[in-house]
Amino acid sequence: MRNLKKWTALGLVAVMSVTTFAGCGNNGGNNGGGDSGELGGELNVAIWDGGQQAGLQQILDDFTAETGVKTNLQVITWDSYWTLLEAGASGGDMPDVFWMHSNEAVKYMSNGILLDITDQVNSSEVLEMDKFPDDLKEMYQYDGKTYALPKDMDTVAIWYNKTMFDEAGIPYPDGSWTWDDFYEIAKQLTKEDGSQYGFAANPSNEQDTWMNIIYTMGGCVLNEEGKSGFDDPKTVEAMEFVDKLIKEVMPPASTMSETGTDVLFNSGKVAMISQGSWMVAPFKENEYIVEHADVARLPKDSETGRSISLYNGLGWAASANTSNPTAAYKLIEWFATKEMQQKQAELGVTMAAYKGVSDAWVNSTTEFNLQPYLDAMEDTVFRPATKSTLAWWNPMVEEFKKVWNGEEEMVTACENVTTMMNEKIAEEAQ
Amino acid sequence: MANPKKGTSQARNEFIWGWLFILPTMIGLIILNIIPIFQTIYQSFFKAGDFGRNNIFVGLQNYITLFKDTEVWQSVLNTFKYAIVEVPFSIAIALVLAVFLNRKIAGRAAYRTIFFLPMVAAPAAIAMVWRWLFNSEFGLLNHMFGVNVEWISNPSIAVFSIAVIGIWSIIGYNMVLFLAGLQEIPRDYYEAADIDGASGVRQFFNITIPLLSPTIFFVTITRVIGGLQVFDLIFMVMDKNNPALYKTQSIVYLFYQNSFVENNKGYGSTIVVLLIVIIMIITVFQMIAQKKWVHYN
Amino acid sequence: MERRAKLTQIGIHIILILVSFTMLVPFAWMILTAFKTIGEATSVDPFVIFPSQWITENFTTVINNMNFLSLYWNTLLLILGRVVAAVLTATLAGYAFARLNFKGKNFMFSLVLFQMMVPGQIFIIPQYLMVSSLGVLNTIFALIFPGLVTAFGTFLLRQAYMGLPNDLEEAARLDGCNIGQTFLYIMAPLTRSSMVALGIFTAVFAYKDLMWPLICNRDVMPLSAALAKMQGQYSNNYPQLMAASLLACIPMIVLYLVFQKQFIEGIATSGGKL
Repeated sequence: MRNLKKWTALGLVAVMSVTTFAGCGNNGGNNGGGDSGELGGELNVAIWDGGQQAGLQQILDDFTAETGVKTNLQVITWDSYWTLLEAGASGGDMPDVFWMHSNEAVKYMSNGILLDITDQVNSSEVLEMDKFPDDLKEMYQYDGKTYALPKDMDTVAIWYNKTMFDEAGIPYPDGSWTWDDFYEIAKQLTKEDGSQYGFAANPSNEQDTWMNIIYTMGGCVLNEEGKSGFDDPKTVEAMEFVDKLIKEVMPPASTMSETGTDVLFNSGKVAMISQGSWMVAPFKENEYIVEHADVARLPKDSETGRSISLYNGLGWAASANTSNPTAAYKLIEWFATKEMQQKQAELGVTMAAYKGVSDAWVNSTTEFNLQPYLDAMEDTVFRPATKSTLAWWNPMVEEFKKVWNGEEEMVTACENVTTMMNEKIAEEAQ
Repeated sequence: MANPKKGTSQARNEFIWGWLFILPTMIGLIILNIIPIFQTIYQSFFKAGDFGRNNIFVGLQNYITLFKDTEVWQSVLNTFKYAIVEVPFSIAIALVLAVFLNRKIAGRAAYRTIFFLPMVAAPAAIAMVWRWLFNSEFGLLNHMFGVNVEWISNPSIAVFSIAVIGIWSIIGYNMVLFLAGLQEIPRDYYEAADIDGASGVRQFFNITIPLLSPTIFFVTITRVIGGLQVFDLIFMVMDKNNPALYKTQSIVYLFYQNSFVENNKGYGSTIVVLLIVIIMIITVFQMIAQKKWVHYN
Repeated sequence: MERRAKLTQIGIHIILILVSFTMLVPFAWMILTAFKTIGEATSVDPFVIFPSQWITENFTTVINNMNFLSLYWNTLLLILGRVVAAVLTATLAGYAFARLNFKGKNFMFSLVLFQMMVPGQIFIIPQYLMVSSLGVLNTIFALIFPGLVTAFGTFLLRQAYMGLPNDLEEAARLDGCNIGQTFLYIMAPLTRSSMVALGIFTAVFAYKDLMWPLICNRDVMPLSAALAKMQGQYSNNYPQLMAASLLACIPMIVLYLVFQKQFIEGIATSGGKL
């Protein structure tokens, strides 16, 4: 019996060496090994947010237990992250599996840097692609091919200081308010002596503040033809409203830029700020905010009664050059399954991209009522993006800075932004 | 006099030993740095494609854009303003401190260590503290002096506030270099001066400065270059919403934005070339001027 | 005369103490922040200078979450590698540039200066590609790699050798020393303080180098990279960051304390030339 084993083993070794030699020069083979479930190997996984490390590590551990593929989770800072991917894509080695952001996705997809997972996704038995928001899925598709699966989703809501509302005798917002109500409340919470302001937002609080107002009031940042929406009267009207907030209920622009709106909020200088769900994790660690603050849904438009939140979401992608494409795909798929999307929410990492499981995220938090973020999913607009979003996004913020600093009228800024955006968007087409 | 044959063999010796000695450094520098620099210069003639592929040759287009770009020239002005404050003050203060700390004085090691601390403090801590000190509404400076100055958000003074942080963080660096240079001044010069009854101030100007001039020259050259390459401080202290950013951002800041944030590597390279040209002109001037004031033995 | 000297001493101390105070502020701030809660640490109220309660949790969390022993070790290897390589190559090259005459010297020296004129950011991607094609990513060598040679150090040592008197060298040559021996036994020992200064700078810059270790490496983490990873995308846990930074810089301060002793007044003499 023992001899038999020995001979079988030897035989196997012989067969293996033959196949190894036969494989020489044939570089096409992958070590993924098909559907047997025995994948093996190791995947390097890279992310940029240290706050999510612990939760994601648990999901990765489950993956290793299930498939036998080891993973190595690497966290680096936002700036270094993109330099690393850039360097890797220019000829070095990239991590196998990593996050993709809507600002950068097109550049990576159009240059063939990402692993094409179209066929696997289409033939997958475990994915339920109809459960993901369309815009988010499409963000990570290019030329009809899929390069990443949605990881998470974020929405926007108002954070308010309960103590300040109590002091002023104003009932806490229940989400039924309009932007006009919001303005009145902010006005009441603004003290003459400058010791307290109703609201705060910087020019760079686009996705989490003023763009939501634009869409709620019927305007748009990009119109249906894919051009600038800043010449739309509704957009201008919404920005005029923002201008009113800047002038009447916000701290001076210099104060907001020097100190930052979230710091003003957690120092008890500002009664309300508008923030994305990505700020929940850091706010949970701040005992002042835990004690004094809670969350309300963004106000509605007084005419339409709609309250629109912008949303965005990351994607999980793999490198086209990964040495283990099968395992890399398996991991991306793993993150997108209902179970793991739910687990991500349960662990309080982020809201899920998968519809209907984010209740777990709300329940994971006892410090605040996060329901408004979930409710915001009812009526959303995807964060505006074109082929090279950053090319017009940063100049847009620069232009509005002038309004914040009182150097320019809002109407003029909107006109200038329209011209600039349309130029940049026309350049993309070339 | 010297035997001509011996002279040539001496020259040959120096040639062989000279190259032998500089070879490790030169090979390293050429591979690690000089080749990438030329690649950057080359890239400034292209509109860069993604990931270094599909670069489109555009000739001098980037340079034409550069000359018309008011943002670039503003950044050159900002950089000069910064360097004009940071470089002389950081050198003068560090020189005086180094002279004090070169003699026997109580607590010498403690002082030397304290002045060195900014160099090992976490950049995040440095940025955080200074942002708070300079904060116009809640900052310590305005509270202490009862004034209301927008130190880092007033476009006409922000760049000088940044230069103050620059001086503060670089004093320890200059001091260490001066301390090292002071060691090489023979002690007997001072002993002779003492006998002559020369005051400390006179000794400083008549002995220390001339004999330390090779080190002062080195510090000046490297600090001018360092000052013209200022980036981190601005990057850490100035929020992108800051109204003073346009009048504060340096050349390297603009290069970083173009090359690493906005994916505009061709134009970013052009900005680097401009910076190199500026630094080169200033350095050449300093090299010529050194003959007038730097004393080598 | 006695009295005047004493007054001068006091004046000097007053100046030194004032400067020390400004230098210490950020450090004191780091220490205070490390004992605060997040809420207190991020509050802008200028009068919340001291923590209301001194909490040590930030230190314990950081010590438990980070493997400081391995971080110290990797940082030490990184520093050691760069300091040895930089001091060695720069001393040799600095001597040649200062004291020897040979064809090509001026051109080569202008390349050294040229390197210093270029902002370091442009080297990251090319150097990454070199390390990658050598197949040594994720090794300690990759960490050390960009610091193998130093233009700054070469220039520094050149200046140091320029300042030395000629007669020492001539005497050595008359004694039959060849150039190598003259350098090794006579000249190099005289620039010890400049080597120490270069060593200190190389160590500090290696210790502070942030982008490179994050990019070339995922296994061999030095302190700077580990600290950078603590920073979130949207906000920082400042108390923990400061606690970790304090723990990180203590060895550097000790190292500096040891080496600054090399700067002792008047080790050089004029060789009786006076």
